[in-house]
Amino acid sequence: MTKIESETTKIDRETTKLAVPVRAKFQSVKRIGGWHAIGPIVIFVAILVVVAILTPAFIGGGGLAIIASSSAPILLLALGQAMVLNVGSIDLSNAAIGLLGAILLALTLGPVAGLSPLIVLLATTAFGAVNGLIVAYAQVPSFALTLGTLGIFQAVALVASGRTTVYVSSNGEGIHALYESGIANVPLTFWMGVLVAVSLWVLLRYTRIGRGMTAIGKNESAAIFSAVRTRSLKVLAFALSGFCAGLAGIAIIAQAGSASPTGLGSDLLLPAIAAALIGGTSISGGVVNPLTVIFGALTVALVPIATTAVGIDAQAQSLVYGAVIIAVVALTMSRNKASIVK
Amino acid sequence: MSDVTTPPAVLRLDAVSKSFGSNRAVRGVSLSIQPGQVIGLIGENGAGKSTLLKILSGNYRHDEGTIAVNGREVQFRGPADALRAGIGVVHQEQSLFTNLTIAENIEVNTPIGRGGVNRLGLYNWRRLYADAAQALDLIGSHLNPKTRVSDLSFVDRQMVEIARAIRVSAASHTTPLVILDEPTAILERTETAILEREISKLRDIGSVIFVSHRLDEVMRICDRVVVMRDGELIADRSVDDVTEEELFRLMVGRETHAAVRNRRSIEPATKPVISIQDLTRAGSYTDVSIDAYPGRVLAILGTSGSGREAVARAIFGAEGFDSGSVSIAGYSGRPSIKKAVALGVGYVPAERKTEGMVGEMPADQNITLTHPGSAAIGPFELPRRRLSLARLWFEKLDIRPREPEHMLQDFSGGNQQKVVLAKWLNSSDLKALVLDHPLRGLDPGAAETVNAQIRSVCDDGTAIILIPDTIDEALDIADDIVVMRDGRISGVFDLGHDNPATLDLLERML
Repeated sequence: MTKIESETTKIDRETTKLAVPVRAKFQSVKRIGGWHAIGPIVIFVAILVVVAILTPAFIGGGGLAIIASSSAPILLLALGQAMVLNVGSIDLSNAAIGLLGAILLALTLGPVAGLSPLIVLLATTAFGAVNGLIVAYAQVPSFALTLGTLGIFQAVALVASGRTTVYVSSNGEGIHALYESGIANVPLTFWMGVLVAVSLWVLLRYTRIGRGMTAIGKNESAAIFSAVRTRSLKVLAFALSGFCAGLAGIAIIAQAGSASPTGLGSDLLLPAIAAALIGGTSISGGVVNPLTVIFGALTVALVPIATTAVGIDAQAQSLVYGAVIIAVVALTMSRNKASIVK
Repeated sequence: MSDVTTPPAVLRLDAVSKSFGSNRAVRGVSLSIQPGQVIGLIGENGAGKSTLLKILSGNYRHDEGTIAVNGREVQFRGPADALRAGIGVVHQEQSLFTNLTIAENIEVNTPIGRGGVNRLGLYNWRRLYADAAQALDLIGSHLNPKTRVSDLSFVDRQMVEIARAIRVSAASHTTPLVILDEPTAILERTETAILEREISKLRDIGSVIFVSHRLDEVMRICDRVVVMRDGELIADRSVDDVTEEELFRLMVGRETHAAVRNRRSIEPATKPVISIQDLTRAGSYTDVSIDAYPGRVLAILGTSGSGREAVARAIFGAEGFDSGSVSIAGYSGRPSIKKAVALGVGYVPAERKTEGMVGEMPADQNITLTHPGSAAIGPFELPRRRLSLARLWFEKLDIRPREPEHMLQDFSGGNQQKVVLAKWLNSSDLKALVLDHPLRGLDPGAAETVNAQIRSVCDDGTAIILIPDTIDEALDIADDIVVMRDGRISGVFDLGHDNPATLDLLERML
């Protein structure tokens, strides 16, 4: 045995040259990885600089705080979406769940007061988990399933609200304080999003649950053959998406004091997906960093302001959204999986 | 060869080099191939074989040296140029369109507008079938060009690839040079024999470069063997003046040190770790009963229709069965992968890239994916601990380069397989390991390390169930051999007291 060892070390020395092409390949991978991490920040800062040059008053007048506060619901939804995208699925229903949560909160705050946010979070988490259960066990593709549940949750929201705006009748002060008070002039709702992002980052980076989720997104068959609990983890990802949607619902009530099926929060689905993608989340699964999703959400909130600053007509805003999304996904997408992306 | 009347070499390379940055992948390779010759090209993973092949197929451009085809110097600007010059490459991973017919696959490379297959952008189907039949006829194949490729066996698909490779040169009446990149790596023994016969037929119409990791095969099929190491062509021998051992030494740079296994019969009192009873799955296998004992390697032999892979997957809970039972360490409830792993079973699948590993994850994360070992504290896994754990495995299994933080997909096949193995060896309580073609596609050096590791875990008391690539692999490493034919067991040998001949085993397989 010792003879073998001495010989292998000898070969090792001889063949270190062999490692060179592999290493060269590694470096290019590293470069892409680096861009993945800082890309969303670079894009946010770049747009911010343009806005600052064109309208200097914006930065001086607390513009950043305005962006942060308006991005809170988008950020929360985007974080949930990013977790689902990470396991290779998509949740089209999470914005609808968030709005339904907001309506439930407005309806129940009066009768049950402090218990109300808890009930709402439990309900939205359960909604998400049901999505996940059907995807994992009935093997319905998530795109089709959540397209269906999106319609169902919208209908429930319409019925629950009686098709009108639901105002918080009483006990709204606590929730409202989340928006009114803040740290560094930024409302607590945004910091709530940051807290969730940090927690998810820890989950993904330091726990076996997070590792398993990423493995599912990258290669589900290999994850199954490695005894990763793929079904439970998918359910968990969808449940987290529901939970984040519930928090987004709370943020909506905190900001507006009311909720309606057509009011604030009714059109957050696409901005939230955009925020997740701009934040470096791979649409084909397995790549996510909740911390950069924060910058994705900030960028999405900044785009309307930037378009106005540049002098683009408000009607053309979605055009800018579209262009930014395409550019960012093209820049940050992992090419290795290009063949799988349809 | 010095005879002036010999026709010009089909292919002549003169001091061809290719660098990637500072790395010289191919260095000053000179080689000449005569019409009708079959040349074996061998070398370890990373020796520069693939780069050389890609230069010949027009995928890479060489930096230095000259390439001459049939006496004329050429500069390939792309794969189409190489094809026109008569060089056809059959890649390791098949590149056929399985949803199309044989004829469409063969004709896919023929130039548009010429030959009449393609008129005004439309297929001339009659012409298409006729031309494809002609190409198949050239290599002595009787496949029907109208068959869909998805209905073909692996060997037949290989024949279609060869027909496609020679199609262009056949049309332009040049002598074709067919390059076969590890065509037998995933074939069963009987299929290999068929392919060997077909390759020797190619001698009559052109030349062949045959890349393989199986030295015995190279010795049987080829006229000459060239060996590459570290980008250089270090030996060019006629098969008559070289032995398998010598080729191994040239290729790896050291002697083989496969120890002869010291075998014993099963002790009467020992209990099997895995015991399957009358296992049946309709259309796949029937009444299979196998016992695997701790500290013993059990090899299951059989051809591709024998159902042995399905049995292995049933043991791991990856596939269901209709009746019978699988008992792992006394447990015989409903089988599932989760349950099997919890009971201490590991499985190295044949499909490494799709089932064995998460290529886009770093190697260290792959190792701890199933059994975190010392990298985990409760539900948490600490990156630093994981890395140092992975370093230990990299050292122990000689995984190169020693950089476990890099994506697993960037490692060579042999090193990837070692990482997959480490994933299971990282279990503190590995009772049984099911290995489905563990040496597939590995160079002999890597295969030896993997085999040595299998022996060592086995000696520590793990039961090994092995689906080997070849009979020799089974005779080399197994303590017990079970032979399957058409889904039924046709022979059981305890090598402690039985001494079956290769022919005997082969007979029970066919």
